[in-house]
Amino acid sequence: MARDVSVSHEYVEQVVRRRKRLHRAANIGAGVFLVLFIFWTLMPFVIMLVSSFKASGDAFSLPSYGNWGTALKKFWVFKPSLEHYKTLFVTDGYARYFKNSLLTAGGSAVVSVLFGASAAYALSRSNFRGKGNIYFWVLTTRMAPVVAVVVPLYTLFKIFGLLSSIPGLIVAYTTFNLPFAIWILKGFFDNIPYSVEEAYMVDGQGRFRAFVRILPLAAPGLVSVFVLSVFFAWNDFLFASIMGGNAARTLPVATAQMKSSTTIRWGEITAAGVLTTAPMMLLGLLIRKYLITGLTMGAVRE
Amino acid sequence: MAVIKFEHVVKDYGTVRAVKDLNLVGELGEFLCLLGPSGCGKSSTLRMVAGLEFISEGSIFFDDERINDLEPRERDIAMVFEAYALYPHMTVRQNIENPMRLRKYPKDEIAKRLKMAADLLEIGELLDRKPAQLSGGQKQRVAIGRAIVREPKVFLFDEPISHLDAKLRAHMRGEIKRLQKELGTSMIYVTHDQIEALTMADKVAVMNLGVLQQVGTPEQIYHEPANEWVATFVGEPAMNILPVEIVEKDGGVFAVNADLSVQLGEKHRIACEARAKESDKRSAKLGIRAPDLNFGVASDPNSVEARVYVTEPLGEETVVQLRLKSGAPLAMRVKGIVKAALDETVWVTMDASKLHLFDDETGVAIAQSAVVC
Repeated sequence: MARDVSVSHEYVEQVVRRRKRLHRAANIGAGVFLVLFIFWTLMPFVIMLVSSFKASGDAFSLPSYGNWGTALKKFWVFKPSLEHYKTLFVTDGYARYFKNSLLTAGGSAVVSVLFGASAAYALSRSNFRGKGNIYFWVLTTRMAPVVAVVVPLYTLFKIFGLLSSIPGLIVAYTTFNLPFAIWILKGFFDNIPYSVEEAYMVDGQGRFRAFVRILPLAAPGLVSVFVLSVFFAWNDFLFASIMGGNAARTLPVATAQMKSSTTIRWGEITAAGVLTTAPMMLLGLLIRKYLITGLTMGAVRE
Repeated sequence: MAVIKFEHVVKDYGTVRAVKDLNLVGELGEFLCLLGPSGCGKSSTLRMVAGLEFISEGSIFFDDERINDLEPRERDIAMVFEAYALYPHMTVRQNIENPMRLRKYPKDEIAKRLKMAADLLEIGELLDRKPAQLSGGQKQRVAIGRAIVREPKVFLFDEPISHLDAKLRAHMRGEIKRLQKELGTSMIYVTHDQIEALTMADKVAVMNLGVLQQVGTPEQIYHEPANEWVATFVGEPAMNILPVEIVEKDGGVFAVNADLSVQLGEKHRIACEARAKESDKRSAKLGIRAPDLNFGVASDPNSVEARVYVTEPLGEETVVQLRLKSGAPLAMRVKGIVKAALDETVWVTMDASKLHLFDDETGVAIAQSAVVC
């Protein structure tokens, strides 16, 4: 008996049409979600940036509730002013906090990458008793909440005279940057064939120089870890506020101190917020392509 | 060039003994091949010579110098790795020049040797490429080029052509052999491929489970295997092994089982008689290689009845898989095309001079002149 082919064609077309409609709906839904998400994420930064260039009082000069047209106009239309930035740098000495943030974040990143690369290389290449346990211990230090170690660290820092100092804060940041560096870089070294170093050693290099020679092959990982270590340290508030003191005050802590029991210096706060977030956002935008490549390269063992 | 001597060399990885009491000599200018299956200890042995693995016990000598405590760079060796290990961020030119630059050769000497290697290996047009832009065969030639520019005491090749296709492997076997003869440098070549070992080496050291099984020329390894394991590892198809009883009858000595009754040659007769006197042992294993079997008729001496299981034409030869009456397999390799129906009954003859006998317990060859390790 011949099959009724015409019915099955119609059915297939129905299925295809339905799938196309669902696909279109999903695309629209995803688009709407992304727009809302971008708005939700970026709007605080936009408000902060715009407000930092408004004169005192202008940021809070809004019409009554419901008058959205005038509100939007007042938000975007204003006379720009640099008074808050001037106050920060001239009166509040913000350049020092900027310098402190740069030194502590950069210093911690350098220390973490140097020691992290060495440790990661050893864990990747050597076989010694307890290697697995050491690696697991390194990972677990990243699992614990940072606030849990602040009190014992404070005590130790006090004993060793590291409180309220740039080196002390570098050490503090390294407590969470170093395990991260070891964790990420071990994957990169695992991906570099050991025979390349062996070839260097047979050709005439010692073990240490062979290690140095293969570092360019791990460059994406080294750069990624450096940049992310800078991010983590730059944005830290907890360690800086508890252990940084006055001498090592960083941008996040300095910004928080603009709110007192009697007044909130919104203008200066927004300007400080821009100064704190802008460098890292720019850095992230510049290297985002390499960051993703760098982090995922070490993920898959070839 | 150097004489390479292994004296009671042992390699342990934790509780696993990968190389067990190795004693071996590679003569001056000799192409020594370490042959064996994966995990037999051949690569561990090579890496101990290179200084890339610690020697757990024993000593390795280059001429009279004990090299155990020398770094790889101090041993004056050149190595070609299984995965080539080219420096991915350097061009071919930089890869080949690197060992010379590290040892501070003069610039004109570097240029001269680079040209020599490039001409010999036909890689002149590849010098400015990076390894990622090369094929497998090209990478392998570059790796060899990096090794030969220095004229070391010893070349170490660790399965360098195992990742190439069959045609390129066949070509490179000849090239590597010729290269070694031209340079005259001592070489240790590691492979699991018996064809490479038998076609290229001056001397073959067969290893299994960390133990050296036999050392000899390719002809000795093939025609005079020291034990059953070497006999079945070398040769394609593997040597046929049949359990037999040694009996005296009709004025001669025969290897007998339910399928066959084969008269043994003089050397085996003498050896079996001595063995029987010593231990009254009659059981053994009979070995015969596939190319040493021929089609015959029932009346031929040393003939055995079998049925055809399957034929495998290889072009100029045919491998015929047979089954004896008891069901035991037998493989033969004959010239030309064989047209035989499945389960067709045939008669196969064995040349007594080509037979091998092995002890059925130890596997050691009976009446063998080869070096037993």
